[in-house]
Amino acid sequence: MVFAHGFGCDQSMWRLVAPAFEDTYRVVLFDHVGAGGSDLSAYDPDRHSSLDGYAADVVELLDELALGPVVFVGHSVSAMIGLLAAARRPELFDRLVLVGPSPRYIDDDGYRGGFSADEIDELLETMDSNYLGWSEFIAPVIMGNPDRPKLGEELTNAFCRTDPAIAKRFARTTFLSDNRTDLAAVRTPSLVVQCREDVIAPVEVGRYVHEHLADSEFCLIDAVGHCPNLSAPEALTTAMREYLSP
Amino acid sequence: MTPPGRARSWDTAPVALLRLDGAGAIIDANDTFRAWLDGTTAPDLRGTRLSSLLSVGGRIYWETHLAPLLRLQDRVEEIAVELRTADGRRQVLLSAERHGGDDPADVVIDVALFDARERSRYERELLAARAEAERSATSVRTLLTTTTALARAAGVDGVCDALVRAAVEEFRADSAWVWLVDATGAPELRAQCGGGPPAGELTTALRATLRDGTAPGGSSRGAGRGAATPVDEVEVTPEGHVVVPLRGADALHGVLVLVPRAHAGDDELDRDALAAAGQQGGVALDRAVLHEQSVSVAHELQRAMLTEHLPQPEGARLSTDYRPAERTLEVGGDWYDAFWVDDTVLALTVGDIVGHGLKSATAMGQLRTVVRSHAERGVGPAQVLARVDRFVQRHNVGFGSTLVYAELDLTTGRLEFACAGHPPPLVTRADGEATFLWTGRWMPLGVASRPVRPPAAVVGDRSGRHLTDRDGEPSGQGSVELGWGDVLWLYTDGMVERHDRPLLTGLDELAQAALGTAGALAGELVSSLLGDGLNEYDDACVLRVERD
Repeated sequence: MVFAHGFGCDQSMWRLVAPAFEDTYRVVLFDHVGAGGSDLSAYDPDRHSSLDGYAADVVELLDELALGPVVFVGHSVSAMIGLLAAARRPELFDRLVLVGPSPRYIDDDGYRGGFSADEIDELLETMDSNYLGWSEFIAPVIMGNPDRPKLGEELTNAFCRTDPAIAKRFARTTFLSDNRTDLAAVRTPSLVVQCREDVIAPVEVGRYVHEHLADSEFCLIDAVGHCPNLSAPEALTTAMREYLSP
Repeated sequence: MTPPGRARSWDTAPVALLRLDGAGAIIDANDTFRAWLDGTTAPDLRGTRLSSLLSVGGRIYWETHLAPLLRLQDRVEEIAVELRTADGRRQVLLSAERHGGDDPADVVIDVALFDARERSRYERELLAARAEAERSATSVRTLLTTTTALARAAGVDGVCDALVRAAVEEFRADSAWVWLVDATGAPELRAQCGGGPPAGELTTALRATLRDGTAPGGSSRGAGRGAATPVDEVEVTPEGHVVVPLRGADALHGVLVLVPRAHAGDDELDRDALAAAGQQGGVALDRAVLHEQSVSVAHELQRAMLTEHLPQPEGARLSTDYRPAERTLEVGGDWYDAFWVDDTVLALTVGDIVGHGLKSATAMGQLRTVVRSHAERGVGPAQVLARVDRFVQRHNVGFGSTLVYAELDLTTGRLEFACAGHPPPLVTRADGEATFLWTGRWMPLGVASRPVRPPAAVVGDRSGRHLTDRDGEPSGQGSVELGWGDVLWLYTDGMVERHDRPLLTGLDELAQAALGTAGALAGELVSSLLGDGLNEYDDACVLRVERD
């Protein structure tokens, strides 16, 4: 079972969910290139300017570790990344668990994604004003020692810290992509997990994904916010168990 | 609203204070916060999620960064967000601490918001300045690389190629192409790089641009370049293509068209830098056009002077090959010639003029004529060289050039030769022996009017009999007998010289290759040696004579 974190923080997002599956699955967690403890030098502005690049990373990871077919659990933008990867290499994926997926965040004719393009610019501005503890001085320390143990205060905000330039690009790639047409290419069975109230991926977007995905199930959980993996881990775990049980 | 028992200072604190439940909904807020939001009234905020009172950017940031961080490390500090208020927005710094265990019902989050309007203005100015500095550093880097590539480019095609490559590799366009106006005024595709739409069709707008020489978009700015700055002339077509004019001193050469990358994470094309690159491209095209005109005249001249119809005598087979430098497009100064001195003696020459271009092509023509006019029965190679040398000194034409001059008596096979700073002639024998003729050495033309001793190591070379005057001074010419089937090779340094190896290695390779050729054509040797593009920067020339 492979857990992929979404836009914002890193694999720590799964710390309240992943352990619940360790006795039945081989659990693999990873940080996307540019996030958490990943090797920032692997970030390629060309490759990572579209979600396809991240999907290619996932496929490489599965190939490298000879993992497939896997249960892929993707949160937020990683739900889309998982769908793209499954469309590309279906044999690597047994099932997909999509937590708070959205194929397009920006409103369009007859489609409500929840945001306008201007509002995404606002997000970029907010990101500009917040470095979350990142500074040019300690960046080399972090990059040079991705596996370095926690250093107390020095690593405040480490879970969500990354190079601001990469973070901004990832934000644009996440929020400006339109992957609606890619849904039709996916044949892997999937579960769409939707929070009752989520400003980032509203319920109607979750339903849209479910309706356009062949062989998908929809599960609405009683949780508020975009990160049920942290705010409602029990509800998420239960939904996953029920879906995955034979 | 102050709960019983809470200090009055809670409400009057100079910072906004809030208490949230585990899901981020407001349980309690102080008067300062209410005043910020709404000024006067005291709306009931209970149950409202704090994130819903933030700007959209702040809301997303709360969901994707702050809420997870609060859960993972129980506190966040100094996060800049914007509060939506009745009269606009208020920049605040947010610090928060989470109390309680894993059960969401027990969790409370205490939040303090500090007014940060002044601070945030200051920070924005700093950020904007930094972004601008980074942007212009990138522009300069991009431009520098592009300009360097343009300066290195040879010819119009080279410039066009450099432009499209820079567009894709430096400016990071998805694809790019260059259209130039041809001699009839029609647009012609000259270079292309990257994928993108097929370049077969030029849009109507572009066609008009190229026809009228106006700025792209066919605006009324027209040919009058007046007030329009270069960046104004960079336009975006309805298809989203970016069109950069390539303007020379007198006319519009054409346009560089770029298709931007379409992925969500891509940066926009840098139009300022593109405009500057377009200007540089226009200048480079001016230069390339001029250069090509001069090169083509020089080529014509050189072709006219290279003997087309070599003598084809009984008893010998002549063949030549000339290969211009591939990279520079320059006309080199290499030439060959063969003509009759009298009924049985054939004169054979290969020379190399210092320099390139028109000047050296005309110098070549003069030297060739001087050699021909001095070569007469009974004069001999040493005297011919001495007279050519004198001509060079007196008229300052072809100074420093090198020349090998040889006379072959077809009845006897006797070869007499003299070499002014030129690579030594090579003889390959029918029995598989190869010998360089190191005698008859002179300094390059115009440098000194006296013959020089051959290099010590090769005095007494067993084949090139060394003629000396009675006092031991070199006579200035050598001689050797050519038997039936023996081959004489005269050539220029382009065949043997390369920066990355000693000259002697080049000579060895030449000898081996010459022995290895089976046919009777000079071109065979050139191909076997230069097949890998050895002569990128220098031209190469070979004259082959076989006694048969």
